[in-house]
Amino acid sequence: MRQAGAYFFAQIKRAGRLLPGLLIVNLCVCACVGALAYLLVTQGALAAGGTRYRIGMVGDLSDSYLGFGIQALQTMDDSRLMIELVGMTEEEAEEAFSRGDLYAVVRVPDDLMESIVSGENDRLITYTAGQGQKGLGTMVMGEIVDLASTLVTRSQSAIYGVQRVLAEEGRGEEIAWETDRLNLMLINLVLSRSGFSEVEVLGYSQGLSMELYYLSAIILLMLLLSGLLNSAFFARRPAALSGFVRARGVGAVWQILCEYLTYLLLLLLDLFCLACPIALGLEQKLISVPEWEGMGAEPFRGFLLSLLPVAAMFAALQFFLYEAAEGIVGGILLQMLCGVGMGYLSGYFYPSAFFPERMRLVGENLPSGVAQRFVENGILGESARYAGMAVFLYLVFFLVLAIALRHRKILTV
Amino acid sequence: MFVRLFLLQKRLLKKYSFLVMLCLAPLFAAGINGLAKEQSGIATIALCVPEEDPVAGEVADRLLAGEGVFCYLSCEEEAEARALVESGEADAAWIFSGDMEEEMQKLAEKRRVRPLVTVVERQDSVSLTLGREILSGAIYPAFSYAVYESYVRKDLGLEEITEERLRQTYESVAVEGSLFQMVYPDGTPGENEDFTYVQAPLRGILAIWFTFVGFSATLVFMQDESRGVYGRIPVAKRLFVSYGACAVFLVDAGVVLLLACRLAGVFTDWKREVISCVVFACCVLAFVNLLRLLCCTPQRMGMLLLPLGAVMLALCPVFLNLQYFRAGKMLLPPWYYLQSIHNTRYLYEMAVYTAVLILISALVQRLQNRAG
Repeated sequence: MRQAGAYFFAQIKRAGRLLPGLLIVNLCVCACVGALAYLLVTQGALAAGGTRYRIGMVGDLSDSYLGFGIQALQTMDDSRLMIELVGMTEEEAEEAFSRGDLYAVVRVPDDLMESIVSGENDRLITYTAGQGQKGLGTMVMGEIVDLASTLVTRSQSAIYGVQRVLAEEGRGEEIAWETDRLNLMLINLVLSRSGFSEVEVLGYSQGLSMELYYLSAIILLMLLLSGLLNSAFFARRPAALSGFVRARGVGAVWQILCEYLTYLLLLLLDLFCLACPIALGLEQKLISVPEWEGMGAEPFRGFLLSLLPVAAMFAALQFFLYEAAEGIVGGILLQMLCGVGMGYLSGYFYPSAFFPERMRLVGENLPSGVAQRFVENGILGESARYAGMAVFLYLVFFLVLAIALRHRKILTV
Repeated sequence: MFVRLFLLQKRLLKKYSFLVMLCLAPLFAAGINGLAKEQSGIATIALCVPEEDPVAGEVADRLLAGEGVFCYLSCEEEAEARALVESGEADAAWIFSGDMEEEMQKLAEKRRVRPLVTVVERQDSVSLTLGREILSGAIYPAFSYAVYESYVRKDLGLEEITEERLRQTYESVAVEGSLFQMVYPDGTPGENEDFTYVQAPLRGILAIWFTFVGFSATLVFMQDESRGVYGRIPVAKRLFVSYGACAVFLVDAGVVLLLACRLAGVFTDWKREVISCVVFACCVLAFVNLLRLLCCTPQRMGMLLLPLGAVMLALCPVFLNLQYFRAGKMLLPPWYYLQSIHNTRYLYEMAVYTAVLILISALVQRLQNRAG
C-alpha cells in the first residue's frame, strides 16, 4: 500500500511536469473555440437576424419576366429573409464563390425564358452550391429548388391549359390578355402559399433546446477528444517499466488505479479550463441558453457536477485505448478515430434524430451516447438511474480491461 | 534508400495496433454506409390523411414519393398524430382537412389561399419551416389545377366544358421535369453521386484521420530520432529523411483512405481519387513535418493535436460549411483535399501550398541548424 502511495505521488509529479504545457494548450483550445464562436455570432451563421445566404445569379437576367420574378422573390416572398440574390458576371461569381462570399452560384441559360414560354423547358438552370462533395446543406438546397421548380412548372401548365382551351374555342385574340391575368393571379397565390397551413405550436419540449443540446455536445466532444490533449502523459513510458514497478511491489491493479486517478485529474483540469470561459459567457450574457435564461451561470455549475461521472468514464475509456495501443502513435490514432466516430454516431455533430433507427440505437448505447443521455437527464431533472448505471458499468469495464492488458504486459516483459 | 523504406514498412506492419487502426477506418465507413440505407430525415412528420379524399391522397403520395430529407409516419386518426408529436416520436403532425377536395375547389374559385392542413409542432425550428415549404409545394399542383379548372369555367365562361376534356387538355400541355440541376464546379451533375447526408461527412472524417496518421508518423520519427536511429545522418539532411519515413505511414493510410471512401459510398472515380489522394498525402507530409520542426518535442506536438483536430472539424467542410474564416481554412490540408474532388483549381492550390510548406520547412531547418 505504501509503495502504491509512492507510485501515485510519482505519477502526480509526472503530471505536474506536464501542467504548464497543458494549461497553455487548454487556453489555446478555449481561445480557438471562443474566437470561432465570437466570429460566428458577430459575422456568421448566428448573427442577429439570422444569416442571409448570398446567391450569385449569372447569365442574362434582362428578360422582363425573369427580372420581375427575381424582384418578387427579393421583395415579397418569404424567402427574402433567408436568401439574397445578387446579379453578377461569371468571373465575379467565380471569384466571390472561391473567396467564400457566396453560398451558391446560379447560372441562368441565355434562352431560358424562350424555353419556358414555349413549354419545352429544355434549358436547365444550373446551380453550384457548397464546398467539396454535397452535404446536408446542398441536399436541403435541392429540396428548395425542387419546390421552386414545382411552383413554376405547375403555374406554366395551368397557363398553357387555358391557352389551349381558348385556342380550341376559337378565341385566339383573348390569349395574351387572359395569359397576363392568370399569370398575375398565380404569382399572387404562389407568394401567399404559406397560408396553406395553419401552425399550432404546442410550445413544450421533452428534449433540450438546440442551444443547450449543442453546448453539452461540444463539452462532451472536447472531453471525449481530450485523450489527444493529454497524449504527453502516455509518451515515453517504456514497456519494461511496468515489470520493474511490479517487482517493487505495485501490481497491475494498483498501477492502473494510480495512473488512472492521475489521468482523471488532468481530464478534470481540461474540463475546468473549458468551463471557466463558458461560465463567464453565461454570466455576461454572451452565451444564451433558453432553459437558463436570466439565471446566469448557476445552472451551468450544476450541469458541471453531472459531468463528473461522465469525465471519469471517458478518462477510463481513453486510458484503456492508450493501454490497448502499442505505443503513443497507435494510441493517438485510436483516440482520434474513436472520439470522432463515437461523437458522430451519438449525435455530437448532427442531432441523433437525423439518423436511421438502427444507427441511433448504436449511437445511444456507445459510451458517448450513454454519457449524453446521463447529462441530458441531469439537465431535465429526470431520473438518470439507467444512464448512470450504464456510465458506471462502462467505467468499470474499461478499467478492468486496462488492468487485464497491464497484467499481460507485465507477464510478457 | 528503398531497402530502408522497406524495412520501415515491415516494422510498421508488425505493430498490431497500427494494423487494427488501419482496419478500423474502412470498418467504420462500411458500417455507416450499411446503416445509412435505412429511412432517415432531419425531422419526422406524422401524416394524417383522410383516406376517402382523392386530393389529400394525391398530396400525400407526392410527399412520400421522393427521397427527401424528411421522414414520414402515416397515421389514421388526428389524435394518433397529435399523440406522436406530444410523445416526441414525431417533430410535427400534418393533419389534412377532411374534405380537402371541396375546400380547395372553393378557394380556387375565390382565388384565395386559406389553411387546408393543420400543422402541429412541438417547437418551431428551421427544419420544420422548410417542411412547411415542402408541404406547400406538394399542395400547389392540385391547387393550380383547381385554379385552372375554375378559371376556364368561371372567368372564360365555359361552364359546360366537361371534366374529362379539361383534364385531357391540361395533361397534353403539362410541363414535367425540374428546371434546376445541381452541378459541381467541374461540371459533374450532382445526381451522379448517390449518397445520403448520413454518409456525406465520412470523407471529411477520413481526411482528418489521414492527417492524424501524418502526425503519428512524425511522432514516431521524433521518438526514433531521440533514440539515435538517425544518428548517422547529418541534421541538415534529416528533413528529407523524415519525409521518407513519414511517407511509409501515409502510403498505407492512403490505400486505406481510398478503400474506405469506396466502402463509404462517397467514391467518385479512380483517376480523380488517386490524384487527389497523392497530392493530399504530399501536403500532409509537408504540413506535419513543418509542425514537427516548430514544436521540437513530441510532448509539444502531442499537445497540438486537440486544438488542430477541433479547428479542422470546425473549418473543413465536414459537418459545417462556414462561409467565413478563409485564411484559417487555407492552412489546413484536409480543406484543399475535400474541395479538390470536384474542383481541380484546389488540386493546384494544394500543390502550391505543399511547395510553400516544404520551402518554409527547409528554411526553419537551416535556421535551427545555425542556432544550435
